[in-house]
Amino acid sequence: MQAIRTEQLGRIYKLRDRKKGEARELVALADVDLEVPQGELFGLLGPNGAGKTTLIKILTTLLGPSSGRAWVAGHDVVQEPQQIRPLINMVSGGEYSGYGLLTVRENLWMFSQFYGIPSKLANQRIRDLLGVVGLSDRLNTKTSELSTGLRQKMNIVRGFMTEPRVLFLDEPTLGLDVGAARDVRAFIRDWMRQRPDSTVLLTTHYMVEADELCDRVAIINGGKVLACDSPAVLKRQLQREAIFELDVGPLNGVTPEQLRAIPGVRRLVHRPAEGGAALELMLEEESVLPAVVGWLADGGVTLRHLQNREPTLEDVFVKLVGMRMEEVEGDAVD
Amino acid sequence: MLRAVRSFRMAAWLGWQIESNWTDPFLFAVYSIIKPIAGAAILVVMYGVITHGDFDSPLFAYIFLGNAFYIYVGSVMTGISWAVIEDREHYQTIKYIYIAPVHFPTYLIGRGAARFLTGSMSVVITLVAGVLFLNLQLDPRAINWPMFFAALAAGLTMLAAMGLLLGGITMQIASVIYFVGDAVAGALYLFSGAIFPLEVMPAWLRPVGFVMPLSYWLELLRRSLLGELAGGFPTFARFSNAQLFGILLGLTAAFALIAAVAFRLCEQRARERGMIDKVSNY
Amino acid sequence: MQSTSPTRLSLFLQTVVARAYPRIIAQHRRERSWIFFEVLLPMLAVSAYVFVYRAIGAPESYVGFVVVGGAMIAFWANILWQMSSQLFWEKENGNLSLYVMAPTSLMAILLGMAVGGMSATLLRAIGIVLLGTLFFHVQFSLGSVWLLFLTFTLTMVALYGMGMMFSSLFLLLNREAWHLSNMAQEPVYLFSGFYFPVKSLDFWVALGASIIPLTLGLDALRQLVFADGASIGFLSVPVELAGLAVLSVVFVVGSRRMLAHMEKLAIREGRLTESRR
Repeated sequence: MQAIRTEQLGRIYKLRDRKKGEARELVALADVDLEVPQGELFGLLGPNGAGKTTLIKILTTLLGPSSGRAWVAGHDVVQEPQQIRPLINMVSGGEYSGYGLLTVRENLWMFSQFYGIPSKLANQRIRDLLGVVGLSDRLNTKTSELSTGLRQKMNIVRGFMTEPRVLFLDEPTLGLDVGAARDVRAFIRDWMRQRPDSTVLLTTHYMVEADELCDRVAIINGGKVLACDSPAVLKRQLQREAIFELDVGPLNGVTPEQLRAIPGVRRLVHRPAEGGAALELMLEEESVLPAVVGWLADGGVTLRHLQNREPTLEDVFVKLVGMRMEEVEGDAVD
Repeated sequence: MLRAVRSFRMAAWLGWQIESNWTDPFLFAVYSIIKPIAGAAILVVMYGVITHGDFDSPLFAYIFLGNAFYIYVGSVMTGISWAVIEDREHYQTIKYIYIAPVHFPTYLIGRGAARFLTGSMSVVITLVAGVLFLNLQLDPRAINWPMFFAALAAGLTMLAAMGLLLGGITMQIASVIYFVGDAVAGALYLFSGAIFPLEVMPAWLRPVGFVMPLSYWLELLRRSLLGELAGGFPTFARFSNAQLFGILLGLTAAFALIAAVAFRLCEQRARERGMIDKVSNY
Repeated sequence: MQSTSPTRLSLFLQTVVARAYPRIIAQHRRERSWIFFEVLLPMLAVSAYVFVYRAIGAPESYVGFVVVGGAMIAFWANILWQMSSQLFWEKENGNLSLYVMAPTSLMAILLGMAVGGMSATLLRAIGIVLLGTLFFHVQFSLGSVWLLFLTFTLTMVALYGMGMMFSSLFLLLNREAWHLSNMAQEPVYLFSGFYFPVKSLDFWVALGASIIPLTLGLDALRQLVFADGASIGFLSVPVELAGLAVLSVVFVVGSRRMLAHMEKLAIREGRLTESRR
């Protein structure tokens, strides 16, 4: 059975410019077709504003689609939300939900009651999960006294403690430090391993997270799904291309534009480094490399280090969208 | 000084942006009319039922005007303490403002400035309704405008000082904060002589009214608007206008000093307790 | 340990208890200054209206009316601020989406809020009655305690049913929720006769105002606790009780339907999860 299925799913927001009084439409999602089988950890990767959260809101019955249909655990999100809700849960990044006056245990217990979990069982799960995420010593701490990271860990426990059949994680490691984020990812992996019938849909804009955790990844930008497959297959699509990282001395007048103009150079990223520069090259094929190295040599540029790099999901994204994720977000701000 | 001016100006602009942020201007208009009119109408009905509609009596003017101008107490004084609540609990921007090079007390007073504007609309609407429908004796030609504006200015300064004091208290508490301003304004309603002469209160309570600058402020406003008709109110009959002004300004200065000192202490205590940016989510 | 699916009733009850919990706990964990701000200060505001009546020469019985009316304001404030517009605050905090997404009903959540807030509200109301009686020597003349209890209970059921209906409207609102709640204070104090017998208003105005359960409830309570209550009553107590019973049914059933309808509308229009104002 498909845990999640969408058909031509779309969502348009109507916005009004207060000053000009004009109405305009924002297309948050357009024609999204996805199928996530039961037991999969499915990733949705895209920059801020790509439509990830909108999709999650629709699938968790918080938002209606403007067009198309979606099903979660076999139930239509619009027609059968009441049948879906006992089976799902959601954790969002940067959450501030809960009540500051209550302790961690009390907040979690309260939410467990909304799912009909008997108190004794709920408290047991809470204790176990808090132990897993390293919050056992904060069981009786008021949530208003928790740091952002600890509060997020508490919210993660809130999402998992109801044993959902389909769990939606919307940037769950947002705001967590590196160590905490790593712990959360390890926890998600273990949880999935122990529950082969449970499905997780994870949204993130951290490539490493999607690469590390997800069985399959959909790359989304501008409300559209651009590609959907396992990270390995997506990266293999770039295997014809060769990716190199070069550590060079001062460029001595050789410009990145000159290098980009060399036939066969797909993409070049130039970053100033101490005493020189770091160049990241995506070439049509390996045989283009000598031409680049030759150009550098002719310009008197010292080549200190050369390394062949495996393609990453970021490279896949760049190939699909034409720019890096940070550049897309920067454009969106502009 | 420049920092204070800058802080006030920025805060007043921000306060107006927040106050005027109504999705539906019609709803805003309805709100601005209904709220003050209904508040006044409660007293009008109470008065009308007992006195069988004797709206020509000076006592009615006393009650009506006191209630109308008391709107400023709620809007300015409460507005300042409400700024602490809004910025801390809802917008969660207080920490950024607090650590910025702004003069924080002046910033809070600036936030109250927008509430002064909306309060003024309510006051005007209430007065106009009184004149049109209840025969309130207000003749623009007979009003002592210099005295009125002077009294208003002094009163608003006094309310700003009290608002700052309340703002300082609000900074230190978390879970009862939302209605602190309204609760205090409601309590002062009793002691300010706004809607009944202080003589009606038990003798042991009257001194509280006499140390409240609000009592003198409202009396000055009534005198400026009603002229000789205000002579019928016994409470401050033995004081001349100049004496009332003197007392008002003296009490305002005293409250301003108390507010400045108390605010500083409250701020310090709030910082020690980590309350400046504490979100209670209550 | 496995969890079996709860029945609808057990889930409803679990939710009511769970959502009441933060409110009840908050009462005990709050700074003690809440007694000052939520009982003593409102008492002072009520006292102001007592002195107005004394200033204009009203009969002493009106003092009792003000005290009882002032006490009942606590319940109206609870409806407006702790229930109706509460969903707006929950939206701001991010809790609303978690409530809607849970398999429980919003009615249970709201009822939990009401029950949880009831302890503070009752304390405020009782505090005002006791203090008012103490300071102003209010003379009560209590007839049937059971009738009083029935009147109060029906008033609360109808009132909180109405509050749930308002809450459903507030699912769609943003900042207007706060303004509407603010706007609904003074007009209701006026037309429901919190500070004067509602009989003083035009008959049809009073009848129209009877849609707010506190109008009939307050009037009936006054008739039951004051010796001359019947003389200033709007309608007879049995008629008012019947009216309250009808309102109870209408509001409770109506709130269920409206909550479901408004939730669907809010989901369709994307109003459940908008963040800051």
